[in-house]
Amino acid sequence: MPRPRIFGYLAVLSTLILAGLVTYSLYLLTAENIEYSGTDLNKINNFTFYAVALPLSLVSVMVIGTGFWIGWTILTIKVVPPMPDIADKKDYSKIKAFFLCLFTLCLGALLLYGISIKNFWALAIPAAAISLVILGAIFWVGIAIITTRSTLPEEKK
Amino acid sequence: MKVLLLCYRGGPFCGGQGIYLFYLSRELARLGVDVDVLVGPPYPDPLDEWATVYKIENLNIWAVRTRDFGPGRLLRIFSVWNFIDYLFTRFHFFSEMETFSMRSFFILKKILKIKRYDIIHDVNSLGWGLLLMKKYGIPVISTIHHPLTRDRDADLMINETLWDKLTTILFYPLVMQRFVIKRLDRIITSSREGINELNRAFGVNREKISVVYNGMDVEQFRNTGEEREERSILFVGNTEDQKKGIRFLMEALAGLPDDIALTIVDEGPPKKENAARLARQFGVQKRVSFTGRVDQKELAGLYSRKAILVMSSLYEGFGLPAAEAMACETPVVATRAGALPEVVDGSCGILVDPGDARQLRDAILKVLNDRDKGLRLGKNGRKRAVENFSWETAAKNTLEVYKDVIHLT
Repeated sequence: MPRPRIFGYLAVLSTLILAGLVTYSLYLLTAENIEYSGTDLNKINNFTFYAVALPLSLVSVMVIGTGFWIGWTILTIKVVPPMPDIADKKDYSKIKAFFLCLFTLCLGALLLYGISIKNFWALAIPAAAISLVILGAIFWVGIAIITTRSTLPEEKK
Repeated sequence: MKVLLLCYRGGPFCGGQGIYLFYLSRELARLGVDVDVLVGPPYPDPLDEWATVYKIENLNIWAVRTRDFGPGRLLRIFSVWNFIDYLFTRFHFFSEMETFSMRSFFILKKILKIKRYDIIHDVNSLGWGLLLMKKYGIPVISTIHHPLTRDRDADLMINETLWDKLTTILFYPLVMQRFVIKRLDRIITSSREGINELNRAFGVNREKISVVYNGMDVEQFRNTGEEREERSILFVGNTEDQKKGIRFLMEALAGLPDDIALTIVDEGPPKKENAARLARQFGVQKRVSFTGRVDQKELAGLYSRKAILVMSSLYEGFGLPAAEAMACETPVVATRAGALPEVVDGSCGILVDPGDARQLRDAILKVLNDRDKGLRLGKNGRKRAVENFSWETAAKNTLEVYKDVIHLT
């Protein structure tokens, strides 16, 4: 098997295993101990908790903040004059942008509230999201490596 | 003096920055400046005669689907900056400027073990890495022809759905640029209008901005002596760029006599559909032709053969085609948008209001119907271009800015 393809398989397999581990450890392993409000993290030392919570919440707030900023920009930007071709078309994007702002604000508030009361899910959901996005990217590259032809088809040579 | 030029895309067909890098580095070297260049792909034409070139890696993967990368690029993703680039571009961020500046910072760290620079001159990136480079104790300046807010606004003008707008906003790294630009030692822009633009867009202190007019090769761009096609007008620029106002040019063309034809120096369909679509919309498709990409020699020939260059822009950071046409003794009809009135004055062209197809049409007719006027405007244009917009002048003025910055820091 060509070397690049081995890398591809390695990327796919390792990301699948890691993604499984993340999901299992965060959601299944703890499920037995979790009541609907999540695992009680109050027993953990404050320093330990914030060492994990701060970087995670920082990244999460940045992502949520980007969503809010996009909505806010669409809501407030003044782009004049509109192109005559589209001036007459109905534009609902401001309404949608308003809801995007509202949604991200609520999500941000929920996250910060969750962190402040040391709720398990306030850590578990962002941690899983960030991990799975990165693993997903590596997985996708691995798939592309496996399925991409490394040489031109015979007739195009 | 030792100068390090940074340019995230150095190819001559990647917008003005590749051309800027090529000529500025050459003219600075002619003035006795020791020039090194850190440049990303597409790489420039060879600069080795006058500069030391360090090539920086970049995969150029924005808007390319993962499956279309090809085996070579796919394997290279698994390195720190390439992976960051990959991840960000999948979310529609244009991260090339960020990653180029960071890669440059780390490479510079190695170079500085054997060399020292008096100044670092970035071209258009305004990446985070520039702020880190300042920590080496070397003044860092940047050339910004126009703020990206202009491009973003032009894109938003035609975006119809929330998704289009969202991806447009994500694309432009304005938060980074706004933060970085205020902390650099000097900003060079190519027009007086640029000072207002940068101040409005990024809140840059006006005193930190210097104006150096863009240069062009006045030897390459000169009238070739070919016969003029009296009923033919020329447009040079990216027809997909909404700032170019191509729609208004098509509308003006529809109001002109049928024997007047328009030549567009850009790719036409199927690569670029916008101009062809607009031509069909205004019923002038039979009078519009596309040249595709042309080299400078061919371009000088086109300027020399066509009767008028038209710039229908809604905004221009400088308006290089106008200066090139002037150097080829071709009259210019342009809008008063952005810096165009600083390039084209009444002695070498006619200025009209941006976004007004009727004014554009009348101005074109005025020049086409008065041969003597056209000749006079052309001769004056050459004189003005040579005096103000040669690369030699641009390099001398840039060198003055370097000296001023070094003296102050």
